[in-house]
Amino acid sequence: MKYFSWIRVKLDKSEDSFEINGKLNFKELKLFLIQKDIFFKEIFNDNSIKFFINFKEIENETISIIDGDELGILPPVTGG
Amino acid sequence: MIKIVNEDFSLDELYSNIKSDKNGAISIFLGTVRDDLFNKDKTIEAIFLECYEGLAIKQLEEIKNEAIIKWNLNKCVIVHRIGKIPLGDKIVFIMTSSPHREESIRSNEFIIDQLKIKAAFWKFEYYGNDSKIIKTKEKDLKKNLKWESVIKS
Repeated sequence: MKYFSWIRVKLDKSEDSFEINGKLNFKELKLFLIQKDIFFKEIFNDNSIKFFINFKEIENETISIIDGDELGILPPVTGG
Repeated sequence: MIKIVNEDFSLDELYSNIKSDKNGAISIFLGTVRDDLFNKDKTIEAIFLECYEGLAIKQLEEIKNEAIIKWNLNKCVIVHRIGKIPLGDKIVFIMTSSPHREESIRSNEFIIDQLKIKAAFWKFEYYGNDSKIIKTKEKDLKKNLKWESVIKS
């Protein structure tokens, strides 16, 4: 998992790794992460944050997450 | 050409990539680090640009390809710096070439507007020991709505 901008600052780390046994969908992964750290509840309730799996934006919470996948958690961008 | 770089870049070298007898027009946008116009008490020393590189390259490729198809460009170059960038230095460079000026000018504006709201970069301002996370500007989001109708037409 990759964290950026204020999320990286707040968590004081830019990435994390979690082992998944078998297969989870994104909805289940969210519950798993909230159980690990209640801060994720704030992240998942923030509509401005986007989530990407292997550089593809997640549009459907039933998408499967398997071991080795990379989840990017992206606050609104400010480049240029 | 798309590049994300840690160091300053040479405009002459980038220009040599786009020179062609087929070009009738080349448009250039160069974004630089400026001071905060609304804060007279503090001076920005530098900005820090963070990037999700793999995703940003993919997003910039998509924006570039959309512009090439829509405006029938000859070439398009996008370079974005990351890391700590001092006041006055270059941040982002966009160069578009086409047979006629309208296409190169319009596509160049489209690319920087799309980059600002879509590409995975985040900016922090540095004031001595202090730093501030920059928020997305409402006007940048509104500008995107204008392009939606242009792209559909």
